[in-house]
Amino acid sequence: MGRFRRKKHNASMNITSLMDVLTIMLLFLLKNYSADGSILTNADNLVLPNSESKKKPTEVNLQIAVTQDMILLDNQPVVPTEDARNIPQEEADPIIIKLEERLKVCMAQEHEMVRLGALNAVQGKVIVQVDKNIDFDVLFKIMNTCGKSGYNNMNFAVMERDDG
Amino acid sequence: MANKLKMNGAEATDVDLKVFMNLMVVLIPMLIVSAEFASVAVIDIKLPELRGSNIVDQQKEKSDENRDEKLLLTAIITDSVVTLGAKGGFMPSLFYQEYHRYISKDGNLDTLLEYTPGKMPTHPHTGRELTVHERFEIYLYALDENRNVLKSLYTKFGEMLTDADGVPVRNVNAGDTVFALTNPRRRIIVTNPGEFDSKPLSAYDELKNRLMKIKERYRDAVDKDDIIIAAENEVIYDKIVQIMDAARSAEFPNISISKLRG
Repeated sequence: MGRFRRKKHNASMNITSLMDVLTIMLLFLLKNYSADGSILTNADNLVLPNSESKKKPTEVNLQIAVTQDMILLDNQPVVPTEDARNIPQEEADPIIIKLEERLKVCMAQEHEMVRLGALNAVQGKVIVQVDKNIDFDVLFKIMNTCGKSGYNNMNFAVMERDDG
Repeated sequence: MANKLKMNGAEATDVDLKVFMNLMVVLIPMLIVSAEFASVAVIDIKLPELRGSNIVDQQKEKSDENRDEKLLLTAIITDSVVTLGAKGGFMPSLFYQEYHRYISKDGNLDTLLEYTPGKMPTHPHTGRELTVHERFEIYLYALDENRNVLKSLYTKFGEMLTDADGVPVRNVNAGDTVFALTNPRRRIIVTNPGEFDSKPLSAYDELKNRLMKIKERYRDAVDKDDIIIAAENEVIYDKIVQIMDAARSAEFPNISISKLRG
């Protein structure tokens, strides 16, 4: 069994170069680090459009995501996008009923929080993440529904363009 | 000096880096996990037809009082044309043809295809119908009356060149003075005409150009920062975002969206 015994000799590895690499990586990652986490919903078919906007998303409590198949409220599926498409286009005041119900609940919660003193004022703020291939028809119906439910302050999420 | 004398006798020993290594091994994976490689931004939107809010009603009354001084700038977007309206009148429409850039994995496809409304194009090699998720970008090329694609010169930074009146430039000679479409416009005195590329005139750039002209003319309007974007039902969201970009870079940051009714 003696063959398993290690021979005693001083083998030292030169790790200076490895340390250099790690230090550079550490600095690079610290530079990229942002304390406020990502607000992005990761859905398969949700691709945000590129834009030159530099405005950073502020703290917000409600987000709607619109993919080709589903409309999600705070990451929970609410209604298929197809249902929104099926509302007649001639409708002057199109409302997505299921979405409106959920939004009204959220709005009531916000009012309740103001009453309890947890919030200063009803913000009515919502971040909307829309897939870039959605047509304006669906977008308008969602905007109309939000406006009707008291969410007048809308922000569209976009990807920051990294090239010049 | 005493130190130095002592050191001369001592053997050089390695610093024990094990502790530091441990720190690195923990820190780096943590930072990689939390790193954001694509950053998200937002665009502020005002709802034009706000309902059920008292503040809005007040605003509306106020706006009715000074309606005649208002600019009421509106950009109307349909499938093939962009029209700007201000002060109750309309500017000449800007016709364009949509070209979509598709990037697909099979056959390393990266191609620019002409778009016909309501129909997805097919893969040029395999004949398969392309999906919307393979559409990478939408380009709008401005057309003249005979539906020929207009050309314009661009700088190497992708900025459109215009002359002093804000008309896109097609060719330049050395010594000419042209303006690059930045905000404010940048004056360039041409030394080497070969440094500019002739490209199809993008409708987004031409729109930005026209909006900047309007901004320059109506700097003292009451609603000088407002623009309403009215779109048709079929317009793709991506296009609206690009047009909002053009509006914002022409200093119209208060964007409202409304629907174009037929």
